[in-house]
Amino acid sequence: MIATFFLLALLQIKVPDAAQFVGQPQGRPLAGAQLEQQTMAISHELRCPVCQGLAIGDSPSIMASNMKAQVRELLERGYTEEQILSYFEKSYGQFVLLKPKFQGVNALVWILPVAVLAIGFVLVVSKAKKLEVEPVHAAAEEEPADDPYLARVREMVEKP
Amino acid sequence: MNRTVLIIGLIIVAAIVVVLFAGLGKDPQHIDSPLVGKPAPPFALKAVNTGETIDLESLRGKPVIVNFWATWCVPCYEEHPTLVANARQLPNVQFVGVVFNDTEDKINHFLAERGSAYPTLLDTNGKTAIAYGVGGVPETYFINAAGTIVAKFEGPMNTEILQENLAKAMR
Repeated sequence: MIATFFLLALLQIKVPDAAQFVGQPQGRPLAGAQLEQQTMAISHELRCPVCQGLAIGDSPSIMASNMKAQVRELLERGYTEEQILSYFEKSYGQFVLLKPKFQGVNALVWILPVAVLAIGFVLVVSKAKKLEVEPVHAAAEEEPADDPYLARVREMVEKP
Repeated sequence: MNRTVLIIGLIIVAAIVVVLFAGLGKDPQHIDSPLVGKPAPPFALKAVNTGETIDLESLRGKPVIVNFWATWCVPCYEEHPTLVANARQLPNVQFVGVVFNDTEDKINHFLAERGSAYPTLLDTNGKTAIAYGVGGVPETYFINAAGTIVAKFEGPMNTEILQENLAKAMR
C-alpha cells in the first residue's frame, strides 16, 4: 500500500493546480464534519461530465469520484465555494454547473418561467374579473322592469 | 381576448419548439471547451513506457498533441494505430498520451501488444484530466508551439481528423 502510494507520487511530478486558474485560497481551510458537509454540498452543484444529468455527488463513476476528491482537497486548502465552482467552470465551461448562471442566454432559464407565470397570472386575474362582472350585467339585462314579455308571464303565473 | 391568448400561447410554443429542435442534432455529452484559445494547463508526469519525465512547458516551440485515453476504453483501441502511425511520420510534432483511471501494468501490456511511438503518462488521480475538462476518453487536445490549446477533439480520430486539427496548431 505504502509502496503504491510512493510510486504514484513519483509518477505525479507536477499536476495542474487550482491556483493557476483561480489564484490563492480566499477562505479558511475546512476539516471534519464541516469539510464533509461542504464537500457534499458543492458536489451537488457540479455535473458529472460522463453521466446523463447527474451531480458528481450522486454519480458512482470514477470521474465523478476524482472530481469529488478534488473538491474535498480544495476545501481542505481553504478555497471558497465560489473559487471551486469557478475552477471547474474554467475547465468544463458552464456545462459543469448544475445551477446555470444568470448570464447571457442562460439568463432566459431564470427569466422565462417567471415571465410565463406572470403572464398566466395576469390572464387568470383578468378573466376572473370578467366572470365576476358578467353575471351582474346579464341579470340586469335579463330582467328589465318594463319587459312586456316578463310582465305577461308574471301575470299568467300569478293568476289563480 | 381569446385571440391575444392564442397568439401568446403560439409564441411560447414556437420558442420551445425552436430550442428543442436546435438541440436535436447535438451530442448531449459534447462539451465546448472553454480552454480553446487559452494556455494549456501545465503538467509534468513520468512516462510509464519510457521512464522519462515529460514536462509540457519544456515542449514549447513545437506542436503538441495530448491524447487522453485508457486501456478500458474500446474506442481507444480503434484510435491507437492512427496515433502511432502519425507519431512515426511526424517527428516535428510531440505526441503525448495521458492515461487516467488505469494501472501501469495494464498500460504497459497494452503498449507492448499494440505498439508505442511516444511517451504515455499516468494521471493517477485524474487531476490533469479534470484541469483539461476531459469528459470521456478518447479526447485529444492540440497545442501550438506557443503553448496555447487550439483545438479539442472528442472520440476516436482517424488520420484525416488528426491532421485537420493539427493544421490549426501548425499555423
